Amino acid sequence: MADPAKSLSVEIYSDRIVTVLVMFSIFWAVLGMFAGVYVAAQLIWPELNFDNPWISFGRLRTFHTNVVIFGFAVSALMGTAYYSVQRTCHVRLFAPNLAWFTCWAWQIAILLGGLSLLGGLNTSKEYAELEWPFDIAITVVWVCFAIVFFGTIAKRRIKEIYISNWFYGGLIIVIAMLHIVNSMELPVTLTKSYSLYAGAQDAIVQWWYGHNAVGFLLTGGFLGMMYYFLPKQAERPIWSYRLSIVAFWAFAYSYIWAGPHHLHFNAIPEWVQNLGVIMSLILLAPSWASMVNGIMTVSTAWEKLRTDPALKFIVLALAFYGLATFEGPMMAIKSVNVISHFTDWTVGHVHSGALGWNALITFGTFYFLVPRLVGAKLYSVRLANIHFWMALAGTILYIVAMWGAGVSQGVLWLALDQIGELRYSFTDIMAAMNPYYLLRFIAGLIFLLGAMLMAFNFSMTIIGRRTIAVRPPMLTESMA
Amino acid sequence: MDKAFSFFLVLRLLFQPTTVFKVLSDLQPSSVVVFLKIALWFGILPPLFAYIGASNYGWRLGNVEPLFLPNQTLVVISIAYFIALLLGFISTSIVSRWMASTYGARHALGVHFAMISIVGAPLALGSVIHLYPDVFINILVLVPAILWSMYLLYRGLPIVLHTTPERGMLMASSLIGYFLVALVSLLGITVALWSYGIGPSLGV
Repeated sequence: MADPAKSLSVEIYSDRIVTVLVMFSIFWAVLGMFAGVYVAAQLIWPELNFDNPWISFGRLRTFHTNVVIFGFAVSALMGTAYYSVQRTCHVRLFAPNLAWFTCWAWQIAILLGGLSLLGGLNTSKEYAELEWPFDIAITVVWVCFAIVFFGTIAKRRIKEIYISNWFYGGLIIVIAMLHIVNSMELPVTLTKSYSLYAGAQDAIVQWWYGHNAVGFLLTGGFLGMMYYFLPKQAERPIWSYRLSIVAFWAFAYSYIWAGPHHLHFNAIPEWVQNLGVIMSLILLAPSWASMVNGIMTVSTAWEKLRTDPALKFIVLALAFYGLATFEGPMMAIKSVNVISHFTDWTVGHVHSGALGWNALITFGTFYFLVPRLVGAKLYSVRLANIHFWMALAGTILYIVAMWGAGVSQGVLWLALDQIGELRYSFTDIMAAMNPYYLLRFIAGLIFLLGAMLMAFNFSMTIIGRRTIAVRPPMLTESMA
Repeated sequence: MDKAFSFFLVLRLLFQPTTVFKVLSDLQPSSVVVFLKIALWFGILPPLFAYIGASNYGWRLGNVEPLFLPNQTLVVISIAYFIALLLGFISTSIVSRWMASTYGARHALGVHFAMISIVGAPLALGSVIHLYPDVFINILVLVPAILWSMYLLYRGLPIVLHTTPERGMLMASSLIGYFLVALVSLLGITVALWSYGIGPSLGV
């Protein structure tokens, strides 16, 4: 069938690309979370790797993080950015074909990149494990993403650039900067490269990248999602627009400094570590400003909760966002970090953000978006409600299990005996973690099953339907 | 039926939560009475159980020998635990009352004291597991207790505080956000105290 935009010869939002990106995002979510549950199981039953290097822990764990962050999260961010930038600018996407290129090229990069990680190609830089050909491919796609996004903003019919676009724009620019600087490397062969930086400098650049990937992608990008979709679902303007602008600039300024808190007690200058602590603590203010803005927006629109299963996910996501953005600065304080660092507490903290905030707000947004994209009702509100409780139970169980494991590890690793020597061996402590890992496995399984329910629900909603054509409102008015 | 807010009414929660919520929705208990009759005793249980458990068996952090602390340290930690729980209870009740105006709920502080006592009941009773101080076993018992508390919060809040279920849901979620932050603060403060030398002997 021909593109409806061409056959009707009127301007229509490019929404089919959004549907495709949402579907890919859900596919990667289920695959990536399955990989996560599988590696969690391997920590209890190591024989599950069947002596096959492709599914050994080290490779599969990296596959898990890359697929959920770059497959699930980035596809969701790209899709929602394309959806909201058109509606906040009242124009069709700039260069729709280029947008289609970003969509497909990104999916191919994730697929091949994921396979390369399973095949053992790895730069050993956290969240930047893909080898240099992928780094170049990612840069090309990302620049095209920027051209489409900023091109759309440039041809907008609304003078004001809405706050969600500032966050999405910040995501695009900062991730480009981080990725290019951190991926500077010398290729030796097609599949092997060495970082341009050495020693402590490499570590500082890596965690400047790593922490701000969390900041501008997993926090800022998703705040962009929140600032567009929450008011939309609540059918209310954002509680304080001024606060959202202040929060954006304060967030952009303070986040970029916080990376060194990943390198406490390491061979980097003391003042760099302390600067990381101070900026991490300051960061709490803009983080919570957006949380307050979200909660106050939804609190005046409570009657929407009666009919809309999506809003519940977003409300809960804000609660976990509050937890994660408080816990992070707290763990950056050196006297806490000395015990929490390198333990499973960090893993629990990451997942209170990843499951509680990123996944829940994405699920909520998708429950809003998918029925609207295809012009149908959600297949089952009841399944969505069951998914909500599974997501909540899975997240809580995960966090608490990792708190228990992390604090125990921290104490046992540092416990001294009467003559001042370390009291327990590392292997004994590892063996003692088994019960927590079992709990975490169950938690992950509950969360995964919930996501699979959602995938089924959306499949039944979408099946046999096409993305409906929506015109920008200004054109509709002028044509009337 | 006993119409006063009593310890027995709270215990009936275990069997008939909805009935208890309805009874409570007609009551206007005084905050002092709730505090002295219920909260104080709920607050004593966890540190008492923890003290008895830790002094007799030592904390087990896994398959390694249990960690014994000197009696004096245990007393200090138990008292600090008690004070932290009471402060947590009072501050959560005050936060709950502060939120009430946003969500159109009842304002009297006594009602919020009663609501938070109810929500805390599964945790206070579940703390009996502190008698056997194995971290994993404690988590195994206290996670269902937390989920039960959350269920009571979501279910009971709109009835007890006279607000619509939807606004009750929003208020309950906000309170969970506060609760999680309070919980992780407690964890952070504890860990920071350890690294300053109060608690187990660590090489930091």
